[in-house]
Amino acid sequence: MTTATGGHDHGHIHPPAPQVEEISDYSVLEIALRELAIEHGLFTAEEHLHFTEWAEKIGPASGSRLVAKAWLDPEFKKLCLTDANAASKAVGVDWLDPTGAGTPSDYTHFVVLEDTPTLHHVIVCTLCSCYPRPMLGNSPYWYRSTNYRRRLVRWPRPVLSEFGLIVPPEVEVRVEDSNQKCRFMVMPMRPEGTDGWTEDQLAEIVTRDCMIGVASPKPGRTADKHPIHKARHPVGHEPKPMGVAE
Amino acid sequence: MSAASDTGHDRIALLEAIRSQGKEWGVLAPKWGCNDPDPPWKFPLAGTFEALSESGALPSLERRHAEDELGDSLYKDVPPPESYLLTLAHTMIERGLLAEGELQQKMQAVRSRLEEE
Repeated sequence: MTTATGGHDHGHIHPPAPQVEEISDYSVLEIALRELAIEHGLFTAEEHLHFTEWAEKIGPASGSRLVAKAWLDPEFKKLCLTDANAASKAVGVDWLDPTGAGTPSDYTHFVVLEDTPTLHHVIVCTLCSCYPRPMLGNSPYWYRSTNYRRRLVRWPRPVLSEFGLIVPPEVEVRVEDSNQKCRFMVMPMRPEGTDGWTEDQLAEIVTRDCMIGVASPKPGRTADKHPIHKARHPVGHEPKPMGVAE
Repeated sequence: MSAASDTGHDRIALLEAIRSQGKEWGVLAPKWGCNDPDPPWKFPLAGTFEALSESGALPSLERRHAEDELGDSLYKDVPPPESYLLTLAHTMIERGLLAEGELQQKMQAVRSRLEEE
């Protein structure tokens, strides 16, 4: 039942969730920029709505599903590793037209990186913030920070340890640098304790951070934490090169 | 525009006024007891980024470079996503896609509309 004020009534009252009850200039600025862009003909309201809905819709679920499928189906795993663009279609992602309205910056060659007992991958974009958005959703803020981008390629193990991921010394760490035409995603190893699990169960533990490579999947871990660390020089590593800011 | 900084970018008075208020989502949300991790304008802003890139008015790569430059200089003390929003406004003004004065007028009009009883 709909109430006169537009709410719903099913016999009990929900207290409204607290909202920010002031209009900040940031809110106003976003609307003003958008409206001026439309008035100047830089894009249409329909185009804006389409891209906004796309940005809201994407998330890591497609990537999680792809990994879970690959863990259960050796043939599909082979396809992921040899033709990731084709494999992506099985989870509803078409890399040639990811938004349904074209997004040149995301037209790309997609590669899935397989972790093994002796090799761990982690992705970054040192140039800017290229990220496999159609598969993993919008990038987390820390991925876009210059701190992560500059430091990961130089000190991968210490940076991974800041995320709580300690990679044993006998395991090689390989950092893959994304670029405008080539995007990567990590296929982590299936953890122990997941025998007999369904695709849905497996997909739950393949979180975004696991597919970036800053975490490893494990039973019971279904959400990412968001550590934000200040830039610091890791102890016991090479001195910071002259003129390189952190 | 106002005085030039030593970063190669001029400070823009309108954006400086917004920045100096310190009303980022990370400040406002806890003040009002709101648990949403992101401001409500986050996705519309993403839509603007995409639409500007798609039309060629501001390609994503150029915007991201601007985010790096301005995020490490004029807007260093502003967290994302507010720093991205300020950078977008700054870049559009620098490129002549819009003027500071018309942005100010539009902001006043938008605020009046939002606050209308």
